[in-house]
Amino acid sequence: MVAQLLDVVSTAAILYAVAAGLLLVFGVMKIINFAHGALLTVGSYAAVVAGQYGLNPWLALPVAAAVGALLGIVIEYFVVRPLYARPLDAILATWGLGIVIGQLLTISFGRGVHFSEPPLRGVVDILAVDYSRYRLALIGVAVVIGVGISALLSRTRLGLDTRAVIMNEDLARGIGINSGRVRFITFAVGSSLAAAAGMLITPLSSVDPNMGTPWLVNAFMLVLVSGSSLVSLAIACVVLGGAQVLVSSYVSPILGGLTIAVLAAIILRVRPQGFAHA
Amino acid sequence: MLEPPGSEAMLSGSALQQTRGRLLPVLAVLLTCLAVVGIAPYLLDTYSVNVLTRSLLYACVALTVDMLWGYMGILTFGQSAFFAAGAYSAGLFFTHSGFGPGTALAALAMGILAAIAMAVIVGWLAFWHGVSELYASVITLVLPIVCTQLLYSGGAFTGSSSGLSGFESIDLSVEAWFWTAGTLLATLTAAAWVFVSSDAGQVLVAIRENEQRCQYLGLDTPRLKILLFVACAVVCAITGYVFACYSMVVSPELAGFVFGTELVIYTVLGGRATLIGPVLATIAVDYESAQLSGDYPFVWKLILGSVFVVVIVAFPRGLLPFVGDLLRRATAAWRGSPRASTADLPIIDVLDPAEAIGTSAGSGAALRLEGVAKHFGSLKVLDGITLTAGAGELVSLVGPNGAGKTTLMRCIADGLERSSGRIEVNGHDIGRSPPEFCVRLGVGRKFQTANVFNTLTVAECLRIARARLDRPSVFSRSRLIRLPPAAYRTLVATGLDQKLDSPAGILSHGLKQALELTMVLALEARVILLDEPTAGLTKEERAVIGSILKDLVKVDGLCVLLVEHDLDFVRQISSRVVVLHQGKILLDGSVDEVVESHLVKSIYSGAGHQAGPT
Amino acid sequence: MPISRFLVGTSLAITLACGGAAFAQNITIGVPVGLSGANSVVAPSVVQAAELAVDEINAAGGLLGKKLALEVADDGSGAAGAQKAFDALIFQKKVNVLISMETSAARNAGLPIVTRGKTPFIYTSFYEGRSCNKYMYINAWVPDQQVAPMVDFFMDKKDSKTFFLIGSDYAFGRGMLSFTKNYVEKRGGKVLGDEYNPMDATDWTAIISKIRATNPDALLMSTAGGAPNVTLTKQLRAAGIKAHFGNLGLDEGTAKSMGADAEGTYLAGSYYTSVETPANTKFLGAMKTKFGEKLLTPNDLSTPQYEAVHLYALAVKKAGTTDAEPVLAALKDVSFEGPRGLIQMNKERHAPLTMYLGQVKPDGTVNIMSTFKDVDPGSQCPKLD
Repeated sequence: MVAQLLDVVSTAAILYAVAAGLLLVFGVMKIINFAHGALLTVGSYAAVVAGQYGLNPWLALPVAAAVGALLGIVIEYFVVRPLYARPLDAILATWGLGIVIGQLLTISFGRGVHFSEPPLRGVVDILAVDYSRYRLALIGVAVVIGVGISALLSRTRLGLDTRAVIMNEDLARGIGINSGRVRFITFAVGSSLAAAAGMLITPLSSVDPNMGTPWLVNAFMLVLVSGSSLVSLAIACVVLGGAQVLVSSYVSPILGGLTIAVLAAIILRVRPQGFAHA
Repeated sequence: MLEPPGSEAMLSGSALQQTRGRLLPVLAVLLTCLAVVGIAPYLLDTYSVNVLTRSLLYACVALTVDMLWGYMGILTFGQSAFFAAGAYSAGLFFTHSGFGPGTALAALAMGILAAIAMAVIVGWLAFWHGVSELYASVITLVLPIVCTQLLYSGGAFTGSSSGLSGFESIDLSVEAWFWTAGTLLATLTAAAWVFVSSDAGQVLVAIRENEQRCQYLGLDTPRLKILLFVACAVVCAITGYVFACYSMVVSPELAGFVFGTELVIYTVLGGRATLIGPVLATIAVDYESAQLSGDYPFVWKLILGSVFVVVIVAFPRGLLPFVGDLLRRATAAWRGSPRASTADLPIIDVLDPAEAIGTSAGSGAALRLEGVAKHFGSLKVLDGITLTAGAGELVSLVGPNGAGKTTLMRCIADGLERSSGRIEVNGHDIGRSPPEFCVRLGVGRKFQTANVFNTLTVAECLRIARARLDRPSVFSRSRLIRLPPAAYRTLVATGLDQKLDSPAGILSHGLKQALELTMVLALEARVILLDEPTAGLTKEERAVIGSILKDLVKVDGLCVLLVEHDLDFVRQISSRVVVLHQGKILLDGSVDEVVESHLVKSIYSGAGHQAGPT
Repeated sequence: MPISRFLVGTSLAITLACGGAAFAQNITIGVPVGLSGANSVVAPSVVQAAELAVDEINAAGGLLGKKLALEVADDGSGAAGAQKAFDALIFQKKVNVLISMETSAARNAGLPIVTRGKTPFIYTSFYEGRSCNKYMYINAWVPDQQVAPMVDFFMDKKDSKTFFLIGSDYAFGRGMLSFTKNYVEKRGGKVLGDEYNPMDATDWTAIISKIRATNPDALLMSTAGGAPNVTLTKQLRAAGIKAHFGNLGLDEGTAKSMGADAEGTYLAGSYYTSVETPANTKFLGAMKTKFGEKLLTPNDLSTPQYEAVHLYALAVKKAGTTDAEPVLAALKDVSFEGPRGLIQMNKERHAPLTMYLGQVKPDGTVNIMSTFKDVDPGSQCPKLD
């Protein structure tokens, strides 16, 4: 029972970390960045490289974040900016970019599977259950990310401008907010978060050029259900992530992988929020 | 040019000529392609024939992607799921029940049924009122994921990760399979070409262009979308079945969204809404991938991905149209300007008023509203609207901005809009019917800003307006447009009859308004809702519209409800005026009563909100 | 429109002429292997073993006066990729034989193509057994040779009564575990559960919850190739599961790359680097000389490859030709003394093998605890010669 609860919370935390960057980009730019999966993968490879050089695994985090931000800047300028008015085309273009990034990674690292060491090993005894220390740490990380972004949005000037752009871009521009700059920074931050999340999930499984894709779809569905609110993203992660854990445990792990996508689709059909009434 | 009404005999002859003229070239190309398919296996080596057989089958699926996306505007990532339905049906039947003519037919039938079932479910989820394009595409993305996972969860039955292989299937030679695939592709492409260039195909484009206008013209767009979706799903399933019989291996990747997305990529590269583009792109890319993947696997995919991104950003219409444009410009020099042949111009046929079926006249007034209210949360936009209007009445709805006039129009034309109250059109309760059903009951709505199909010509717009009543053909293009007298008169009076071949997008503002009015009249509606028909018109145009509207009530006996700000115009043409203020009816009476009323003057000049309804 | 179609046809015809180089000078061995996907951890070592064998044969004068060459293709460790790889090797590159280690999914998908292309195929991977094809020989172990030692050990030496079975959801995983379940129950043990995850899945959380809940004495794992083995073991260790780990599908190379997580896992196989025979010593020396720093640990999936190339060469010499029928007949009769001992594929297309039971040490090598000589593969393909 306790183990199950911890599974739910840690799964939700992982999903939150992965989806937060995508939500930010979607909220501000109304574009779904399909290169998110590739950015996740880039972050994972940063962890692998750190391992290869014998660095402390935690050091990979800032490296991954930096690489992600850099890539985000390039992507925003060359691909996303010309496609502001065509959201569906933006999805396709970023998907194509994801393929390009994937191939570049394959050329650099080979197409085989790589692994990296978890920064934290061992188990912790919680209420008579041994639970993975690293998974518990990830819960903490997700909370930090959530609080961090919220603080950024609510306590900084940039955050205020961003919230204005999210609510009504034309009006924001009308009162003098440089929405181009806001978009630019948002995309860089979103990409950086994606890479960081990729680095964080690597120790739990394996790294290959295509590992980001399954995460992309789940993150995408979670973002659609949440609209543009970080709080509703957290709720969605707990509810849908929890459903995934329960279905995996009591029905089948394979069908569990479906749960988030299917539930999100049904929720949106029954109660279209925000984006569904375009 | 217009021909005098009633030239039926001449018409049928030329119509026949036109159909033959259209289909003959298609037939010629089809036969040429079949000939190429026939000799190809003898010119190519076995490996290439194998690879091309697969590529040709994938191209069939890409064709459906273009149909749905290029022509109807539904971006779908999920055609792979239907392909896999057909393929796995074959695999499952042949593995678990052995192979024989009975099982082969059963497998094909099951595959088709499974595809139809999935398509209907997806259609129900994705094509309902008010859904955004994004959500529809999302559902088509979730579908292949669900299918893949279901296949994985099938354990030994579906082969899970391994898939099914080694089953016995139809025994044909390598060449025969190539011919099968080639014939399937060529025939499907030809059929698709005939369909999209027919009148019915025009409806698809109209829906993609402006779905809302189509709904308000009485076209049940969700149903049409689902129909096309199901048809394409069946095509994919049949293709998948052939694929499984040929390759004798089925694996979950066939249902995956990576494959589904690849098809979208090929469509983009080849050119949306060209049919031939995606087909050629699929064949070329898939073939080259197989040839190069041994030697330069990463670089090839890298190039492909990069080209794809560049095409989307810089050449959104795709490569084929781009190349086509270049060729056209290059050859324009010695081709000279094309002479428009008179044989292609549309012909208007005016309907006998007795023939105009339109809607059945129910009992009671043309329009009756009882207690209609609309609120957004706690904000009341309309409150307790009760009014009755009959045939032959021209009722003007006036009131300051924000009074709720356009909202009221919306509520009459769309049963889903109002919060409460009852609306009857021609004696029929509109209940919670969506716009297309309200049109059937006899309502036609003209929007505030001219809402037409900008990329279609005037004649094509009119044809779409008639689509509900004059069923468009799925394989031919008719030159004939039948219009009721009211629409014909409007056409002539506004001068639109001289501009039948102009794209609607380049018409002047006044003519666009006139076109929309004509389209609404073409619906043979009995209740016409006009939202600010004179906005932006010159004095002459306004006079023309005024007399048209007067004739509508006098000659055709329609009930016209009009939202207007121009009080002079209102005074000239209306038989009755209803004043709306803050969501309630302030005054409902004759023109003189309203114009003389102090109340009305005060609300327009903003003096005092203390006055209540008299 | 018709013009574009003709143009395409012509350009395709030209392109194909450029593909498919002539290999008339060489005898080519096609090696479709999982360079990407589940097997990608192990595949490079398989290629290395093949390369050494080819070098040795060419150094000794080649085969029938021609040089031996390798043609490697990626089968993606799965069915779809295998189709493409086998197609390319047999019809485009026109290889004389296929020798390789693949997942069962890839093998099953490739066999119809092998049959259509009438190409001999030596399958060098351990697998779930009973795969039979007119053109195929197998020189690696089947469950009948491998499962019994492991289960017997757990039940007799470690007093394990309850077992939990975990596998990758494909032919190998299911085949191995169904054989294992039968054997455990025949010996009086109890199987508390058997769970499967798709081959490319990386999240074992739900299955681990079940293990935690049922608390078995020993775990028997039959997961695919490299990646699934690694992720499962890592997650089991991270969750602190205390049962004995018995891995039916883990090879030494993958165990090494797992680091500390692999320690203590029990393995059974037909080859470990610590096997002490003159042939193995010679083999390891030759590999070290050829690859130096880049050497990947030879393992139970790569040494059969080395031996198979030699067996093929011997069969071709015996038959005097590379034509399929004579070579297939000769493959039954030739034998080769390799790192795994004397190998001859004379038992219904399979080979009797010496099996070892071992445990992974902290440094990733395997400590051999028992040896079983010449274990019979049982009746695998009674319908074939």
